[in-house]
Amino acid sequence: MSFKRTVLKAGAAIAALLACTVPASVHPHVFAEARLDVVLGPDHQTVKALRHLWRFDDLFSSTVLMEFDANADLKLDAAELQEVANTIHASLADFNYFQLVTVDGKDVKMKPPAAIMANFENNQLIILFESEPETPIQLAGDIRLGVYDPTFYTAIDFTEDANMAVEGLPSSCVRTVIRPDPDAALAENQQTLTEAFFNDPAGTDMSKIFATKLELKCHA
Amino acid sequence: MREDRPLNKIFIRTTFALLAVAYILSHFAGHAHAQSSLGIGANEAVIPSTGMFSRLMIWINQHQQAFYRSLSSAMKALRDDGGQVWMLVGLSFAYGVFHAAGPGHGKAVISSYMLANEVALRRGVVLSFISAFLQAATAIVVMLLAYFVLRGTSVSMTNAAHFLEIASYVFVTGFGAWLLWKKAGPVVRRMVGVAPAYSLSAASAAHVHHDDHDEAHHHHHDGHCNHGHHTHGDAHHHHHHHDHHHEEGMVCSSCGHSHAVDPALLSTDRFDWRTAWSAMAAVGLRPCSGALIVLSFALLNGLWMAGILSVLAMALGTAITVSTLAVLAVTAKNWAVLLAGGGRLGNRIHATIEIGAAAFIFLVGVTLLSASLSV
Repeated sequence: MSFKRTVLKAGAAIAALLACTVPASVHPHVFAEARLDVVLGPDHQTVKALRHLWRFDDLFSSTVLMEFDANADLKLDAAELQEVANTIHASLADFNYFQLVTVDGKDVKMKPPAAIMANFENNQLIILFESEPETPIQLAGDIRLGVYDPTFYTAIDFTEDANMAVEGLPSSCVRTVIRPDPDAALAENQQTLTEAFFNDPAGTDMSKIFATKLELKCHA
Repeated sequence: MREDRPLNKIFIRTTFALLAVAYILSHFAGHAHAQSSLGIGANEAVIPSTGMFSRLMIWINQHQQAFYRSLSSAMKALRDDGGQVWMLVGLSFAYGVFHAAGPGHGKAVISSYMLANEVALRRGVVLSFISAFLQAATAIVVMLLAYFVLRGTSVSMTNAAHFLEIASYVFVTGFGAWLLWKKAGPVVRRMVGVAPAYSLSAASAAHVHHDDHDEAHHHHHDGHCNHGHHTHGDAHHHHHHHDHHHEEGMVCSSCGHSHAVDPALLSTDRFDWRTAWSAMAAVGLRPCSGALIVLSFALLNGLWMAGILSVLAMALGTAITVSTLAVLAVTAKNWAVLLAGGGRLGNRIHATIEIGAAAFIFLVGVTLLSASLSV
């Protein structure tokens, strides 16, 4: 009957409206130029550790300076930098230190880093840390190492492919830096994304798809 | 003519309840880290969702990201060699336009508030602008406090911003609850038989309105059309002098009348600024993270004028987007009511939309608040 149709129309109008008015998407407020050094074991057959260096943008760095400058001298001294490092260390723990490590598509567990070092150079905050896999990763199969912020608050940028480096990589391995194009990645993953959406509307981790990754393909 | 058969009531309620639940689940539930992943500064309390709108979202996201990046470069250029302030202002404006199209409670609250009340479109635009500039002012005040008062204390800017964020969400929740009570209260009481009359807030009603409110909460009727128990607190409610008489015990089926929107009535309507201010304050209390970051850089580099101009330009951009969306919301509501035609059916849809909008503000407040407190 027309009444139901009208309610449905009204409902559809509201649904469309709600969907448009609050498209949930955040964008990064923080940019970091990153460098990843993959440290191999002494025999060059395993991945022993990942060394991270993140240089934050000037704007975010000034927020950090403003927040942690306990003695109000507009400089961050050693104690203040330690406080910055502790804060970041504690927060990153909830996000696996922004690391995404897989071997043949399976997640690899990483140990939390023992410490994070913070530095302030040329008005920029620099963060350094090293983390190890729970067991060394054999150089075999398809190893993917990504660095990303699943909350999209921080954009981790590897400006050049050389900034994802492996020293002493055996010749049996091929190193590639993968930079997914958002549109292509979305099209490729449309099926899985749609399924994921219906299974768990809020839980899909799109950053996994969009993260810049270092791929090591080894035939051992 | 009795169109309000129980079946239809249930149908309407179920439709809108499902809409609300689906919306909340798909947009807010199960995530929402208000505090940032780095522990410094605040992230928006929403994360990207996928599905039908993912392309649009990614498009918006890419643009706001691009504008934000250019914005930071423009700030740096200003510090290094005195770049163009107008460039910065333009980028800030564009960023504001796109940013408001993204996440945020601002447009949800303003749009829903306008849906729940008969607010003239022009006034809705004014509301959007005031709340956006209030938000800019909050950011500037927080920054000045952080620089001149908080620096060297144990209270950080993140703490201050987080506190304001929680305060904002508390206000949104409270405002939603209050509005919901005002809108749904009479209906609920009517259902349980306390107040048998039908209630609508519509100021647009085609009946004659008298603004000579002598006793704030009562309608004067000569008949038994009992409107006496409405909790009318705002000026959208009018005292209806009905001369028609009703049979004893008869439910006042004609009291709703036709609710076609009459702009002339709307514009002469006495507007409840107290209600409007609570909506705007609830929105404006939460400083935007981007604005705080830009301002701290500006202040530390002696570019405070540029920083303030940038934040004001962001607010202008935000206001334009928010008011556009709010106008769309109200237009859609008017269409829905119009489609339903006059009489009780239109009234019902009207009432349902209003109650739904009030419930929505409440739910947004609760969700954001719990997300914000659970960190």
